[in-house]
Amino acid sequence: MPMTRRQALASAGAAAIAGALAKPAIAAKEPILVGYLPALTGPSSSTGVGINRGIQLAVQEINAAGGIDGRHIELITRDTQSDPTKAVNGAAELTRGQKVSVVFGPVNSGESLAVVPLLARTKTPQIHPCWVDTLTDPQKYPMCFRNAPTNQQIGGAANRYVVEVLKRKKVAVISDTTGYGTASVNAYAPMLKAKGAEVVYQGNVDAANPDLKPELLRMQSAGAEAIMPWSVNAGFLSRIINTRGDMGWDVPIVGQTTLGSGQTKALLEKPEYWAKVYPNNFRPVCYASGGKLSDRTGAFLNRLKAAKIDMGDTLLWWIALGYDSPRMIAEAMKTVGTEPEQIVGYLNKLKGFPGVYGDISFAPDQHNGYPDDEVVMVEANSLKDGAFNLAPGYSA
Amino acid sequence: MVESIVSTGVAIGCIYALIGITYNVMFSASRVFSFTAGTLGMLGGVLGSLFIARMGMPLAAGFPLVLAAGALFGIITEIVAVRPVLKSLDQHLYVLSTLALALIIQQFTAIEWGTEARPFPRLFDIPRGGFDQQFWLPMLACAAVIVGLELLYRHTLIGRAFLAISEDNYAARALGLPERRLRMTSYALAGVIGALAGFAGGEMLLAFFGNAPMLTFYGFVPVALGGMGNNRGAVVAGLLLGLFQQAANFLVGGIFASVAVFTVFILVLLARPEGLVGTALQRRV
Repeated sequence: MPMTRRQALASAGAAAIAGALAKPAIAAKEPILVGYLPALTGPSSSTGVGINRGIQLAVQEINAAGGIDGRHIELITRDTQSDPTKAVNGAAELTRGQKVSVVFGPVNSGESLAVVPLLARTKTPQIHPCWVDTLTDPQKYPMCFRNAPTNQQIGGAANRYVVEVLKRKKVAVISDTTGYGTASVNAYAPMLKAKGAEVVYQGNVDAANPDLKPELLRMQSAGAEAIMPWSVNAGFLSRIINTRGDMGWDVPIVGQTTLGSGQTKALLEKPEYWAKVYPNNFRPVCYASGGKLSDRTGAFLNRLKAAKIDMGDTLLWWIALGYDSPRMIAEAMKTVGTEPEQIVGYLNKLKGFPGVYGDISFAPDQHNGYPDDEVVMVEANSLKDGAFNLAPGYSA
Repeated sequence: MVESIVSTGVAIGCIYALIGITYNVMFSASRVFSFTAGTLGMLGGVLGSLFIARMGMPLAAGFPLVLAAGALFGIITEIVAVRPVLKSLDQHLYVLSTLALALIIQQFTAIEWGTEARPFPRLFDIPRGGFDQQFWLPMLACAAVIVGLELLYRHTLIGRAFLAISEDNYAARALGLPERRLRMTSYALAGVIGALAGFAGGEMLLAFFGNAPMLTFYGFVPVALGGMGNNRGAVVAGLLLGLFQQAANFLVGGIFASVAVFTVFILVLLARPEGLVGTALQRRV
C-alpha cells in the first residue's frame, strides 16, 4: 500500500519517539543526536518522502547493530514543509536548542540556500543532497558537504549523452519560467555549445500554458534533432512528450529526472509516447544490460522488500541516497568521535565511501562528493521497482 | 497553424469567458469582485478528476457532484468572505477576504490533492485527433451557460429578481425582495458556472492546484475588457483574449506571449477604460 506523506511523517515521528522511549541496556549512554531536515509535506515533498524511507531503515539497522560505541543514533526530525522559512527555524532549533552533532538536509535546494549559511555560522557539520552548484564552498562553508551531484554534473551528463552518444548536433533547450528552469537553461545551453552542438531553440515557457505545440513547431522548423527540457513540473514535461507524440515527431527527449517520474507517466495520452525519453539517473541504482542491478544494489533492494518498504510511488535513488547518509555519518563518528572538527576532518579525507547510491569522496578543497561518471541517462519507459534501464549507448 | 490557433484559442477563450461570467454573477449580486472565481475553476478540474478518475464514478454522477460542490463553495464564499465586508464596500476589504479564502482553498488542495498536475479523465470514449473533445467541451459549456443565463434572466421570475438587485439593491429590498437569499443563490449559481469552466476545460488544463491563480488572473481580463457585470462583453473579450494569446504563442512564443497579451490589455484599457463592450458609468452629482 503506498505510504502517504502524512504516514511518512507519522512514521518518522514514531521512529523518533520509539528511539527515545525504548532504551535497552546497550544505550544506557546518551544517544547521539543527529539533526534531520526533510520536506515531508508541502509542494516539494516527494523527494523527501522517498529519502525518508531510506534514512529510517538505515538508522534502525545502525541502532540494531549496537549503535556507535554503544550509543544509539537519535534522529531529531524537523519537517521543513517545503518552506525555506520553516527550514531555517528548524535548523536554528536543531543547533541551538537540541545541540545536535551533525545535520543531514535540507533535501531541497530552495531550503538549503537558506539553511547552509546559518549552519556555517553555528559551526555545525552538514551533509545535504541538493544540486544547486553554490550550495557547497569549502572556503565559505567549510563544514558543509554534498553527497549528491551538482547541477553542472546533471547537465553535463545529459549534454554528453545528446552530443556524444546520440550524435545530435542541433538541440532545442526548453524550461519553465521557475528559477530552477531558467537557471538550468542559462547554464546548460553554453555547455552544449562548448561541446560543439548548435542550440537552435532556447526558450522559457509558462508551465501552465496548456498548448506547447507552437514551441515544438518552432523547434522542428529550426531543425532540432533533440529536445532537452529542464523542469520539475510533470504537467509541463508531459505536455512536451504528448505534443511530440501527437505531431508524430521522432526526436529524442533528454533531460531532468522528472521525465521518468510516475506523475509524468500518468499524464501521457498514450503509453508509447514515453519511448525515446531519457531522464537523468545514477548508474549504481540502474539496471545494466540484461536487466540486473549491481550486487550491492540488488542486496539493498532485497532488504527494502524484506522491510516492506514501498517503492511503487517513489524512486530507488531517493531511498538509496537516504539510506547512505546516516551510514556515512555513523562511519565518521565510529572512526573519529562526535566532535564537529573531528567529523569534518574525517569527511575532508573520505575516499570512496561505498554507498548504494554511489561511491562518495571528498577533499579539503572539494566538498562535492558524487563521481561524474555515475550520472547517466536512462530509458523512462523501463521503470520497475523505482529503477530504470540504462539508456542505449551506455556500457554495463 | 491557423487551425491550432482557432481550436485552442477559442477553447481556452471559452474557459476565460466562463470565469469572467463567474466574476460577473457574483459582482451583480453584491458589487463585490470575488477573487475566488479562479479557485472555483481549479476545483472543477480537481474534483472532476477525483470523482471520476480516482473514485471511479460514472460521468452522470460525477458531473452533478462537481457542480453541487461548486455551488456549495459559492455559498461558503458569500457567507465567509463577502457578507462580513458588505457594509464597508468603499474600503474594498473584499479584495483581502476573497483572496484569503481563495488561498486557503488552494493550499488545502495542494496538501490533500498534491502539487503535481494529475490527469483529467476522457469524458467521452471518442478517439483522439482533429477537433478533439478537449476543444469542443469548453465551447459547448460556454454556449450552454450563455443560453441558460439568457433564459434565466429574461424568462423567469427569479432571474428578473437577480437583475433587480443588480440594478438597484436598495430599491429591490424596499420592494420586498429577499436580497440576502437572492445573493446567496447568485453565489451558488456563480459556483456552478466556475466549476463547470474547470470541468469542461479539465482535459486541457489538467487537474492542477496551480490553475487557480492562472484562472483568477486571466479570467479577470474579460471582465475588465468586457465591462464589469457585462456577460456578453465577458464572452466577446474572453474569446478575443484566447485567440490573441494563442496567436502570440505562435508568433512570438515563450514568455513573450504573456508580455504581448498584457501589453495589449493595458493599451485597450488606456484607450477605453470602460472596456471594449462596456459603457461609461454616469456619476450622480
